[in-house]
Amino acid sequence: MSGPDSDAGVIVENARATTGEAATPPSVVARVEDLRVTFDRRGTPLHALRGVSLEVRAGEILGIVGESGSGKTVLGLSLLGLLPDDPRPEISGSVDVLGTDMMTGHERDRRALRRRTLGAVFQDPSTSLNPTMSVGQQIVEAAGTRDEAVRLLEAVGIPDPKRRMRSYPHELSGGQQQRVMIAMAIANRPSLVIADEPTTALDVTVQSEILDLIAALRADLGSSFVFVTHDLGVAAEIADRIVVLYAGRLLEEGSTADVLTDPAHPYTIGLLASRLQLRSPRDRPVVSLPGDVPDPESPPPGCPFAPRCELVVEACTDQLIPPIEIPHRAGTAACIRLDDARALRRSMHTGDPWEAPPSIEGAAVQLRGVTKSFTLRSRFGSAVKVDALRGIDLEVARGEAVALVGESGSGKSTLLRIVAGLEQRDGGEMEIGVAAPQMIFQNALASLTPWLTVRELVGERLSGRRVSRAAIDRAVDEALVRVGLTPRVARARSRQLSGGQAQRVAIARAIVDPPGLLLADEPTSSLDVSLRAVILNLLNRLRRDLGLAIMFVTHDLAAARVIADRIAVMHDGTIVELGEAGQVCADPQHPYTRALLASLPGESLETGGAAWQPRSS
Amino acid sequence: MAATELLTTKVRSEGLGLRRLLRSPGLLDRFALFVLVALILVAIFAPLIAPHDPLIPAGPPLTPPGRAFWFGTDQIGYDIFSRVVFGLRASLVGAFVVILSGIVIGGLIGLTAGAVGGWVDSALMRTTDVFLALPAPLLAIAVVAAIGPGFTHTLLAVAIVWWPWYARIVRGEITALRHRPQTEAAKLSGISRRRIWFRHLLPGSLPAVLVLATLDVGGLILILAGLSFLGLGAPAPAPELGAMSAQGLRFLLSSWWIPIVPAAFVAILAFVANLVGDGIRDLMGSME
Repeated sequence: MSGPDSDAGVIVENARATTGEAATPPSVVARVEDLRVTFDRRGTPLHALRGVSLEVRAGEILGIVGESGSGKTVLGLSLLGLLPDDPRPEISGSVDVLGTDMMTGHERDRRALRRRTLGAVFQDPSTSLNPTMSVGQQIVEAAGTRDEAVRLLEAVGIPDPKRRMRSYPHELSGGQQQRVMIAMAIANRPSLVIADEPTTALDVTVQSEILDLIAALRADLGSSFVFVTHDLGVAAEIADRIVVLYAGRLLEEGSTADVLTDPAHPYTIGLLASRLQLRSPRDRPVVSLPGDVPDPESPPPGCPFAPRCELVVEACTDQLIPPIEIPHRAGTAACIRLDDARALRRSMHTGDPWEAPPSIEGAAVQLRGVTKSFTLRSRFGSAVKVDALRGIDLEVARGEAVALVGESGSGKSTLLRIVAGLEQRDGGEMEIGVAAPQMIFQNALASLTPWLTVRELVGERLSGRRVSRAAIDRAVDEALVRVGLTPRVARARSRQLSGGQAQRVAIARAIVDPPGLLLADEPTSSLDVSLRAVILNLLNRLRRDLGLAIMFVTHDLAAARVIADRIAVMHDGTIVELGEAGQVCADPQHPYTRALLASLPGESLETGGAAWQPRSS
Repeated sequence: MAATELLTTKVRSEGLGLRRLLRSPGLLDRFALFVLVALILVAIFAPLIAPHDPLIPAGPPLTPPGRAFWFGTDQIGYDIFSRVVFGLRASLVGAFVVILSGIVIGGLIGLTAGAVGGWVDSALMRTTDVFLALPAPLLAIAVVAAIGPGFTHTLLAVAIVWWPWYARIVRGEITALRHRPQTEAAKLSGISRRRIWFRHLLPGSLPAVLVLATLDVGGLILILAGLSFLGLGAPAPAPELGAMSAQGLRFLLSSWWIPIVPAAFVAILAFVANLVGDGIRDLMGSME
């Protein structure tokens, strides 16, 4: 790592020469000081950042970790000087990148800085690339010359780069599109690259490749990277240093190894504990953080985590807690009870073991040789047949939970939709041994009709039977309480619900009349880490209380392991491995299962204090 | 059992749509809304507001606008102000009737096409296209020629060519909704098809229909006035803005107020209706 460091020094010097100011010492690429950003949402202030200070050092990868609503994206945009102009949010504090003021500086200077010394990679490459321009044209815009563009494509690992120059974005896979975005970001050897969730939209195996690429590029170029992510595990894989953001406040800062092995702030401790790993206990509830993230319209006046914190005392809720030096190691945490927090880490318990799920005779679903293909028609009339399922044999017993695990295109969702009756199978046999299976969806908000109240949505499953209004209302209230909501939620409509609340309402609708078979299509993958654990615990409990069989579709083996008795690993329309959940994760037989397990981010991460190894290039 | 998880109690409060409508639009939108509402009120309370019976000569012919007759009198001696007040009523009622019939007919056809899909969709939409191809004025002339002139007949002719727009827009919205998780979840809930159609699908097309309807008011007022100008409206003395303008046209140089006043009210009505329509469209867009 000696090479990159000296390299970085040179680049920073150059950058400073072009901007001609000396406000920033060379070892620091960017400095954010007490940044507050408040948006206006139809008259109500929306507090995105509430006094954040940090610095990005030369040549480092800084991980900014935060759940939704933490302000991490706004922080990334602030570093790029790209906060929206219309309407302009209220801003105080300063953002200094290589001597240029990104908040109040002249737009011309900021643009020049962005062009010469900054790079940006965003979450969704398919919308960040211009669909009407070839990949080559777009990279040449950033790189200047064709030769340089080809060199960049090669550097980011695109095979046959000369030919790919002529391709249009839609002809590339998601992973390749993100590589192209990265190629554009690193044109001109930037001093600082801001990457906002660059791997979130990608499959795990592709994510792993992109992380490798970023680590390698940092070593080659010596650029600093700011890596914004919601996933501590991903940050663990790539970052040298981590800052933890929550509700617009910076709660903890430290080296990756310190933050992961010796977290100081109760929120970081909870976040780490609720992260599902391959060694999370399966026989009891996983650790979950109670409650919801604060509403950005009315954040608590004190520590934003106080409403969810076990250690809360009055002094926590009075005023904002500034970052405090952690006594026993380097780094800061915004907590006045750091000593007790250390003890909290040890005492974080997961509750009593689950009782065994009821075993019920008979099969909930039996599938034999189920096939399905889709015909994709191109614009010029040529039809392409795609086999989504190539002969699936699977039996799910009553009361049993089976997880279908695979990446996008594996056919796992198609299989689920066939069982639900939303798609028709082309061939094979299917027998469903229970009445009307229910389904919950990845995007719970989109699965709730927005103009109907929760009471109507949950209650309508009981309508058409000879039950009184009052009995339906009672059943709805009962179902809401069962999923951890108060009956008052019944009056709300979907846009009033948070993501976690919406998923609970969707579950309440499914279980208001227990279905015998619950189909779950990635119900946790759009949720924040802390909520994911809550929903998995909920499903695990409902399953035992109500004797549900569950088919759980996910791309996350760690989640599958916790929820399911058996795991079916799917690849390319077939089940490549089927076995007891613990067995599949501990002793995978199929090479594809092994690849999936190997690309799970953050598995090397030990909360106990064992050695942590950063991803090396 | 719920005790192990903290009960989530707080839900976001819901802003009232009406309050937003009155608060958010610009000054021009609010002014237009005010004028439109005022004109609608005038039309509703026409008998109370009009000082004279529009069908009985009220004074000497060709009196210029003045204190006795605000907008003057026409060649027969009718009070133009009273006739304009009743004419507004005819224009607005005509526009609303056509729009309402468009929403009902087009809504049902669009809902059926969008919710069923497949060949039903194709058949209904191609039929819709046929109606869309008919020119309104020619059809109106044909209808009038067949069953005689009259306000109702004109409305009928316009309504025949008007509903396809609503059918198209409803069908588009429903088709998009049909593949959303909310509809799939509703299907899996085991509820009746009728409930899915009318509770889960149809309300989703309401914003688009509302925008189209408000933007249509201005256009329809112009078209109806135009047809009435061509003599395709109610027979002679009936107070209609288009017909009044047409019959007074030969006095344009001597007694300008006879054709100009009704024409000006057509223009004002259409203009403010369009402004309000634009405002509502912006509002719907910002609510997405």
